[in-house]
Amino acid sequence: MGAWEFYLVVLLVYFGTDLLAVWGLNLEFGVAGVANLAYIVVVAAGAYTYGVCTLGPSTGNGGFQHYVGGFTLPFPLALAAGSLMGGVVGVLIAITGLKRLRQDYQAMAMLVVSLMAATVVSADVNFLNGNAGLALIPNPFKDWDPEAGRWAYVAVVGFCVVLAWLVMRRFTTGPLGRTLRAMRDDETAAAAAGKDIVALRLLVQFVGGCLGGLSGALLAAFIGGWSPTAWVYIETLAFLSCVIVGGMGSDRGVSVGTLIVAILILQGVQFLPQVEGHPGLSEDFGWIILGVATIVFIWTRPQGILPERRPKYAGP
Amino acid sequence: MSDPILEVSDLTKHYGGVHAVEGVSFTVEKGSITGLIGPNGAGKSSVLAVIGGFIPPTSGKVRFDGQDVTGQAMHVLARRGLVRTFQIARVFGNLTTIENLLVAAPRQKGEQLAGLVGGRGAWRGQEEELVAEARETLKTFDMEAKMDEPARQLSGGQRRAVEIMRALMMKPKLLLLDEPMAGLSPSLSRQLEDVLLRLVADRDLSLLLVEHELDTVERICGKVVVMAQGKVLSEGRMSELRLRKKVQDAYVIG
Repeated sequence: MGAWEFYLVVLLVYFGTDLLAVWGLNLEFGVAGVANLAYIVVVAAGAYTYGVCTLGPSTGNGGFQHYVGGFTLPFPLALAAGSLMGGVVGVLIAITGLKRLRQDYQAMAMLVVSLMAATVVSADVNFLNGNAGLALIPNPFKDWDPEAGRWAYVAVVGFCVVLAWLVMRRFTTGPLGRTLRAMRDDETAAAAAGKDIVALRLLVQFVGGCLGGLSGALLAAFIGGWSPTAWVYIETLAFLSCVIVGGMGSDRGVSVGTLIVAILILQGVQFLPQVEGHPGLSEDFGWIILGVATIVFIWTRPQGILPERRPKYAGP
Repeated sequence: MSDPILEVSDLTKHYGGVHAVEGVSFTVEKGSITGLIGPNGAGKSSVLAVIGGFIPPTSGKVRFDGQDVTGQAMHVLARRGLVRTFQIARVFGNLTTIENLLVAAPRQKGEQLAGLVGGRGAWRGQEEELVAEARETLKTFDMEAKMDEPARQLSGGQRRAVEIMRALMMKPKLLLLDEPMAGLSPSLSRQLEDVLLRLVADRDLSLLLVEHELDTVERICGKVVVMAQGKVLSEGRMSELRLRKKVQDAYVIG
């Protein structure tokens, strides 16, 4: 397998897992108006859950890492567990924002949740191996021929993406999608129209959390490890940028946004020439482009590349 | 005479040291249009906010349709048929005009578990009926031409109409209208008066109206409740109230 083929596999897996996370965040923020700046926490919850479900007890391998669980579960079960854990953590995050908070305060509260979660996980070495994170998370196809195994993994990610699209569309379209968008546009008026805001928020943050959790689980299995550096709060902003550039509330739009921001920009900068004595400069450059692109869109085209479209009823 | 649709007894609302509402009691009879008037700061909007479940009262009781509903959440009251509109009309700006109506329809299958599992097939039939109903309502308010326009592009008067139509889609028993005529041209407000009168005549509907346009109040309201400084000052028909000295004074002082 050539280097380029390997790189293509990496890009496809990244694109797939980014899509899952962006769809989840778009459901919460773009469609329902919940500014969840702790979104990366549900991705991390899925990744860690996948890790401790597939790894054996932490006393194995000479006990070099410490974590709870260690259930040696087969990978489909571990994926489901990761996704579900994402949903559960999503609901916990939702509860912090339920008190009649204005949207900007909610966003702040959730940002703090994100920072706190990362601090706790880093500090407690026995919970999820602290700063070092989990290593040796088994790939489901580790016993296969490496090339076949990689493509099999791409197929698994593709299957999850198709499944997630079908589930997500049930929430973003039809009467429920309409209700969620009404809540986004004016929460008080939505309550006056008989909508239960609390229940709707818990629902979208559960479903969005399941999508994010699945994304994290698939990513952890592919990389083989997961640590606090993988889920710093700024990662949420990368997903948010995909939503804003692509088109808030537009399922197709945010998918295009993911391709542009997460793949073309953040992966594309890897091809910039290295500057001697400045390691990591190209990655920093990627974040700068991402930030500028987001601001340019907010200023000049807030509806994004493919704006949300509403159904037409006029005519016979 | 049948029981009143709404019975407010000894309602009090304090915001810290400010006594916005101080022992207010009145009733709204079934099928009536009742007016709630008074100078600025009299506590009318606070009374409306408490009745509609937007804020809890400090003390007192609200009975709606024979049941104590004091302190219940706005969405619960809305589902029971007690629906309010806002002083500054609130629309769902990114939804189209007709969607603003459709979204308010109660018990939509597409919002429930059955609709999520069953998909489009589970709710398409009901949706078609709702679209037909929404079209009819738009026709009543002469806004059919605007149905596919995003609501954020509508004028102030049109937004007010959207809010009232949205409330009607919920099949309310009692509609709380907070200054529906504010900002409307005289001809538009006469049109809205006609529509409101017709709605109350045609449907099983009662209205409680907070309004500053006293001419409107005189034309469409039966009973009128006058508030000043958090208390009920007087009650009766508008034509009688105009003659009462203390009502005149309250308006001059207010």
